[in-house]
Amino acid sequence: MISARDISKVFNAGRPSEFTALNGVSLDLRLHETTVLKGPSGSGKTTLLALMGCMSRPSTGRIFLKDREITSLPERFLTEVRRSTFGFVFQQFNLIKGISALENVMAPAYPTGEKFSLLRARALASLEMFNLGKRADAKVEWLSGGEAQRVAIARALINNPAVIIADEPTAHLDTRLAHEFIGIMAQLKARGTTIILASHDPIVYDSDLADRVVEMRDGQVIGAGNRA
Amino acid sequence: MRRKGKNGALLLVYTLVIFVLASVLFFSHALQREAALVLKDAPEIIVQRTQAGRYHPIPVAWGAQIGRINGVISVRPRLWGYQYDSVFLANYTLTVPAEHAPPAGSIDVGSGIARMRGASVDDIIAFAGHDGLARSYSIRDVLSGESQLLTSDLILLSEEDYRDFSGLPADQATDLALRVRNPREYATIAEKITKLYPDTRPILRSEILRTYDAVFGWRSGLLIVIFSAAALAFVIFAWDKATGLSAEERKEIGILKAVGWETSDILLMKFWEGTVVSLTAFLVGIILAYAHVFWTSSPLFAPVLKGWSTLYPAFRLTPFLDFGQISALFFLTVVPYTVTTIVPSWRAAIIDPDTVMR
Repeated sequence: MISARDISKVFNAGRPSEFTALNGVSLDLRLHETTVLKGPSGSGKTTLLALMGCMSRPSTGRIFLKDREITSLPERFLTEVRRSTFGFVFQQFNLIKGISALENVMAPAYPTGEKFSLLRARALASLEMFNLGKRADAKVEWLSGGEAQRVAIARALINNPAVIIADEPTAHLDTRLAHEFIGIMAQLKARGTTIILASHDPIVYDSDLADRVVEMRDGQVIGAGNRA
Repeated sequence: MRRKGKNGALLLVYTLVIFVLASVLFFSHALQREAALVLKDAPEIIVQRTQAGRYHPIPVAWGAQIGRINGVISVRPRLWGYQYDSVFLANYTLTVPAEHAPPAGSIDVGSGIARMRGASVDDIIAFAGHDGLARSYSIRDVLSGESQLLTSDLILLSEEDYRDFSGLPADQATDLALRVRNPREYATIAEKITKLYPDTRPILRSEILRTYDAVFGWRSGLLIVIFSAAALAFVIFAWDKATGLSAEERKEIGILKAVGWETSDILLMKFWEGTVVSLTAFLVGIILAYAHVFWTSSPLFAPVLKGWSTLYPAFRLTPFLDFGQISALFFLTVVPYTVTTIVPSWRAAIIDPDTVMR
């Protein structure tokens, strides 16, 4: 269970540009399920994802990961939790240019100190799983949109995370690729991976993938429901 | 290599600066060392005669009087001078050696002269003497001394030929060379000589060494000043390139943090990046400088550092590396550069990783 208790996030606090992205959100997300955060731009979906994924800390409130309070952990431990528990798929994939698809997939695991040959073999196997074995040595800027998306997913999976967090994963994909993404997520879900998605794309929140849809607006949860 | 343009330009300029600085260091140091080696066998005191402060030939007979001063082991009148060759626009150094002088009519020439005049052993070579008349000599040998700096423009000849060539009377010499055993007596002996012959100028070997050091030191200092401008330009360039992280680099750091890198992991990566660039530049620069100075006779610096003579000696300095100097160069270039790459990365690396999601 990932639980948020009355969390708020204020950016640029005390400055004229102060902005409250989240305001008193409380939420429980069950493991091994797929939760979709739904809502318009600026509703606080991405901020909530970042907080749950240990990328930043809330201004107030607490977050628990399997009953462990993670909000007050020092940066080093927070990074360790982030690396070992979460895999991220970003809106624009955020692959690192100038290096190969394989190196991008391996990047999150470098700090673990895993033996290079083993890590490389795992990353290659991960790319093979997404039919990208032949593109392993291609620089990421040479990849098509669909290939880049699959590389981003392979990278998210390299540390065997329990939770996949994806922020607007279909925003830059056409309908075919969006369905392909849903298919891959469904496979991961079938293997027991917890998936948290933020999206305002109906292909995502209306898909069979979503077990639960949490609706957000203006930094607050305005509705949450299990899908049949 | 990523960011080929940026890193390539940085590497090039960096290597160039190291090359120039290391070349100056190698060159001036090797010259000083060469001069010291040459002077090792020089007489302890040289006595010149002056007239109204200007050089004048010294009577050979004064040698006997000076030789009687306590502490002086021997006195040898020396015959040497310069000859300007207007045909080849070159200066030669004429010397009568103390031992193994060529017989009358024969000379030994330095490799520079042999090269320039296209002459070899047993060839006849002619020079115009003091009266403008040409004198012919047969070449007995071409000198290939270890220090080409000294022998390149040298002509060794017999006393008889020298006096005939220069017009120096038989009772006069260019100067007197004294051998003195005890270094602590140098100053006292010099004082006694000036008392005995007030119009003489005793020159101590240590003074010559000091002058050499000063001249080469001053010249290399001059070059260092000039090139410190280049180094400063490099520092500004490096600072700009290394510290001004591009938006792309900042984003990369954000991505790496987001996928689980710690600040220290990023700093370590940036440290190695900076180290690879600066170490490569340092090593390549040092190797190029070594090749420039010791293999190709410093074509870039020779006109400034090697003297005023028209006939530049095509000499090769004895390779000599001073690890103190190399480490100084290392700490003045590699270390500051590495630091300049780390600081901005650290500033970028301490940002929250969620910036890449916004």
